[in-house]
Amino acid sequence: MKPDEQYWNPILETLPRQKLQQFHLKKFKQILAWAYENSPFYRRLYKEAGLEPGDIKTLDDVRKVPKTEKSMLREAQRREPYPYGTILSVPLEQVTEYRQTSGTTGQPVYHPETWQDWEWSAESWAYALYAYGYRDYDRVFLPFGYSVNIAFWAGHYAAEKIGCEVIPGGVLDTEARILKMQELKATALMATPTYILGMADVARKRLGIDPAKDLYIRKITAAGEPGACIPGTKKRMEEAWGAKVYDQVGATEIGHWGFECQAQAGLHVLEAFHLVEIEDIETGTTITEPGKKGSMVVTTFDRFAHPCIRFDSKDIIEWNPEEKCECGRTFRRLKGGVVGRADDITKVKGVLLAPTAIEEVVRSIPELGDEYEVAVIKKGDIDDITLKVELMPDAKPGVEAVEAKLVQQLRLKTGLRYNLEFHDYGTLPRYDVKSKRFKDLRRKE
Amino acid sequence: MGKYNIEDMAQKIETLKQTATELKRISGGIQAVDRNVDRILASIKMLEINISDLVGTI
Repeated sequence: MKPDEQYWNPILETLPRQKLQQFHLKKFKQILAWAYENSPFYRRLYKEAGLEPGDIKTLDDVRKVPKTEKSMLREAQRREPYPYGTILSVPLEQVTEYRQTSGTTGQPVYHPETWQDWEWSAESWAYALYAYGYRDYDRVFLPFGYSVNIAFWAGHYAAEKIGCEVIPGGVLDTEARILKMQELKATALMATPTYILGMADVARKRLGIDPAKDLYIRKITAAGEPGACIPGTKKRMEEAWGAKVYDQVGATEIGHWGFECQAQAGLHVLEAFHLVEIEDIETGTTITEPGKKGSMVVTTFDRFAHPCIRFDSKDIIEWNPEEKCECGRTFRRLKGGVVGRADDITKVKGVLLAPTAIEEVVRSIPELGDEYEVAVIKKGDIDDITLKVELMPDAKPGVEAVEAKLVQQLRLKTGLRYNLEFHDYGTLPRYDVKSKRFKDLRRKE
Repeated sequence: MGKYNIEDMAQKIETLKQTATELKRISGGIQAVDRNVDRILASIKMLEINISDLVGTI
């Protein structure tokens, strides 16, 4: 492969840092001016803050711009024009696609796409898929319900744009999807980590198919929830499928904003399309150096119907220590991808706990199954945390040995003690799309 | 970046855009023309994002 053939756009993806920053400033000013001129929501927000688009002269000035968050989008969508409200920045008749957020954190946010914005979505995904090695000889299987949620829709069109042959596995059940992948010798797959593991389990247990040996999938795009950024989970997925698994991140309001390259050494921010800032969760100060986690504040360039400017996504991220990646891309990297969400991180017994840390422990122990469940309750004034896990049927050491390993690793990684429950393999709930494995039941008591 | 002639590519992209826009102007409102031009313009916008918007930066 010639050096530049690994990039979708070799110019933008290898732009020297200083020039990339100039590019960011130019793009930020453009989208800010667009929103100010075309969205009643943004114009009001900025006028109340005493801000005019011309006030932004440097990248440092970006921090003068008020942040937005999901609750503000929901509020704006209670106004006309229905259903998108005052953020809508194009005439309603230009909207050609409807999407909505999954509603995991409350009332879904509606998202309008013009034909141009939808082209943008496919374009942004093309950067990622091309980086994973998707090419025009690939046959790509998409096992998701093609519905109102954005999910893998843009992945479908990006794969088409690259020239892949796309197989929409929409209404098929899991077994039929696996058989179709086998029949058509599909070479690439896109799904949530939960479903990637679930499909492998169904293939082995119900169909007698070993995905690593009996299927042809060699590249998997994992998106929709953390998983491919958790080493234990990534390892399980790669072993189960005999494929490389690449982490990809995005959100309906933001679009796709980060991907792994084939070096799998952190998550590249898609800086051709976004400006990402990290803010300290408690102080709100900007984190520019590695070594400290914070909440992501993101601006999306060139998506005009429903602009996303300084949106506090609540994703917890951290800059990678090394700037240069062996892939040659100059897009900055995040250490460990999205490691949690600010609204998921909770204090248990006075300790900050990220559910992903528990997953990392459970899935690093081979004697345990993929599924687990965590419940936090209040006993009197004291938090009580229970972790349910499944012991693999063929686990060699007894439950006592596994328990000892689990206790030690949990204490090391989370600093907490747990009530542990061992369940028979296959008895904990399975999820098809986004999992609900962490249950904080304290507020209901 | 020397091997890529961004200015030339940007010029061709601008010509494409002008041609598509002009086609829509003279279509007489034929939907089969206007709607397909809209799609072409959306693709041209992606070319601008990938190439034209870099003019002056590198």
